[in-house]
Amino acid sequence: MFRRHSGNPARAADALRLVSVSKVYGDGANAVTALDDVTLTLPAGSFTAVMGPSGSGKSTLLHCAAGLDQPTTGQVFIDDKEMTGDEAALTRFRRQRIGFVFQQFNLLPALTVLQNVTLPLKLSGRKLDHTHIRIVLEQVGLSDRLEHRPAELSGGEQQRVTIARALVTNPSMIFADEPTGALDTRNARSILTLLQEAVRDFGQTVVMVTHDPVAASHACSVLFLADGKFVGRLDNPTAEAVAERLTHLGDDIARQPVALGA
Amino acid sequence: MFRLALQSLRHRTGGFMASFIALFLGATIVMTFASMLDTSGGSSVTSADRDTLVIMANVVGGFALVIVIFAATSTLTLSVRQRGAEMAVLKHVGATPAQIGRMIVGETTIVALAGSLLAILPAMLGGWLLLEALASTGQVSATVPYRFGPIALGLGLGINLVSATVAAALTARSTTRKRASESSAAAMIETPGTGKKRVIAAVVLLAVGIGLGVVTATVSREEGYESMQTAGQASIWASIGFALLAQVLLRAIITVLGHPLAQMTGASSYLALLNLRQRSHQMASIAMPIILFTGLATGTLYMQDIENSVTSVEGVAKSTIQKNIETLNYVFVGMIVLFAAIMLINTLVAATTYRSREFGQQRLAGSTPPQMLSMVVVESIVLAVTGVLFGSIASLVSVVPFSIARTGSPVPDSPAGIYLGIVAVAVIITIVPTPTTTRRVIRTSAVEAVAA
Ligand SMILES: Nc1ncnc2c1ncn2[C@@H]1O[C@H](COP(=O)(O)OP(=O)(O)O)[C@@H](O)[C@H]1O
Ligand SMILES: [Mg+2]
Repeated sequence: MFRRHSGNPARAADALRLVSVSKVYGDGANAVTALDDVTLTLPAGSFTAVMGPSGSGKSTLLHCAAGLDQPTTGQVFIDDKEMTGDEAALTRFRRQRIGFVFQQFNLLPALTVLQNVTLPLKLSGRKLDHTHIRIVLEQVGLSDRLEHRPAELSGGEQQRVTIARALVTNPSMIFADEPTGALDTRNARSILTLLQEAVRDFGQTVVMVTHDPVAASHACSVLFLADGKFVGRLDNPTAEAVAERLTHLGDDIARQPVALGA
Repeated sequence: MFRLALQSLRHRTGGFMASFIALFLGATIVMTFASMLDTSGGSSVTSADRDTLVIMANVVGGFALVIVIFAATSTLTLSVRQRGAEMAVLKHVGATPAQIGRMIVGETTIVALAGSLLAILPAMLGGWLLLEALASTGQVSATVPYRFGPIALGLGLGINLVSATVAAALTARSTTRKRASESSAAAMIETPGTGKKRVIAAVVLLAVGIGLGVVTATVSREEGYESMQTAGQASIWASIGFALLAQVLLRAIITVLGHPLAQMTGASSYLALLNLRQRSHQMASIAMPIILFTGLATGTLYMQDIENSVTSVEGVAKSTIQKNIETLNYVFVGMIVLFAAIMLINTLVAATTYRSREFGQQRLAGSTPPQMLSMVVVESIVLAVTGVLFGSIASLVSVVPFSIARTGSPVPDSPAGIYLGIVAVAVIITIVPTPTTTRRVIRTSAVEAVAA
């Protein structure tokens, strides 16, 4: 059911592999287990939504998987390459294989749209492939805003810039943390469509954290997280099915807080 | 609004630190020199001693004052401008311009008052040391008792409060004039240009500086060492003139250096140049103290060196007045060095810490820590070049005319080492603090930095 893409032969069959990943914040009495021995494999060309109650570890999962934070134990593989090293090594790894889309966009205010989009390429010293850049910018519908600065764009447009920035390096994985969280319904829908197109047309693999069942229904499958563990999965989701499942997830946790607690 | 001001101070102690240090230091210097006036008013002081003390207070203290006001104003403006986003939020929730104005002025008054009160003890010590120095070189009699009194307190507190409040009111006015939506957009882009009034003021000051230089080289030629007073002012006014134009000068330097720099170190320089261009306003406030430092230190030290070699060639002993001037010059330069160094480090640390979020965004876009560091180093180099270049030009307005007046030749026969020393200090205090602070700032995770 996942769409496989034959476009990029260099890519491994598994885009993301987490092996027994745990993340503990703090120590001693204050220790919080945000991720509890999570194992996960996502095939290349899949679009997965991660859902769960607030504080269930969604952001932590994304940060560990994306090399923005280091797991306390366990291993992360992107494209079958293990992600390890100091910050400089991790940054180089991310630059090459990972794209991000954040709720708060995180564009550089001093740079124009075009400069923001091409920055990762410049930082990694890669030659700019102008044809590819043009295709990506057309895809996200920003071809006529290239010289604008982020402050001059609407939220929806800024989010499209971050998607272009994520796509332009042709990464193995795109991670999105609540990408529609700061947007109205119409803009949210166009961002979700863009993520779907990234999977379909560019052969990307996307993992998206969201709390919105409608957003999640754009994915191929939904994974449910509670107290740092995966507690369920829904393929070919509809918004109704996701909402229903979420409600029961709440019930489960309310019923057995001790058993599920860290 | 006063309550809001206090609360905002308590929550953002770090943000006000730069203004506080500038005001504290300013008050210390002003009170140190003003206490010479208190001392000169003592009943047992002879009229010759009184003259020396009054000259010391008026000449050095007077110029210290100009620079202190300048420094306090520029840090205050910086700290208010850095809070553009916060101001926008206040406007969105319905704060009127008058309320925001009162909040900014209220905060500043509290900071200025705290800075001045804490400055009293160090100023007492400083004044006492200054008097000791004057006594030990025989410029005042050793029996003059040190007094720290109403003049020092009045001037110190008064000047600090007045200049801080006026600066805050002016900044508040320009901040609150913008509409709410504009100021949140402006907070993100931050590219105000150099205003017309500022350009006019700068041109007038540069003209005054050049005029004084011309007077020194022509009219004051027969006055001997006394022409130093005219000549000395020339580079002070010229330096302040250039400092006011710092943003324009910085842009010019970026245009000249931009291309070769972009070729050199790739992405880091590319970002550094974009930042310098885009934030030329903030960056200019860093170039300002470098210009003042280089201009004043070079001008004063070379004039004194010319004077020293003239008297040694003539084989005459220095008069008391000449010795006074020499002490004045060294005290003045020492003070400028100290003040500029602290101001600069202060501004650099504040400005760099403020960029934590921007740095986080850059790291998320793929900058490695070494790339971040080389980016800020390239920025600092451009700032140092701008500051040293225009400070040096400003110093020529003193040095060349004074050399003509005293030796007949426009080029003094002084060692280049003095200049190299000044440049080295300027470069070190400009380039060292930023990467050090940056390293500390990027120690937090990029995700946390952008969330803050
Ligand atoms: N930097 C941190 N320090 C300490 N605890 C943290 C930190 N980040 C997250 N946590 C804790 O880890 C748990 C999971 O957080 P998070 O991944 O942000 O959840 P979600 O994104 O699902 O809301 C929460 O209990 C949260 O309080
Ligand atoms: Mg979260």
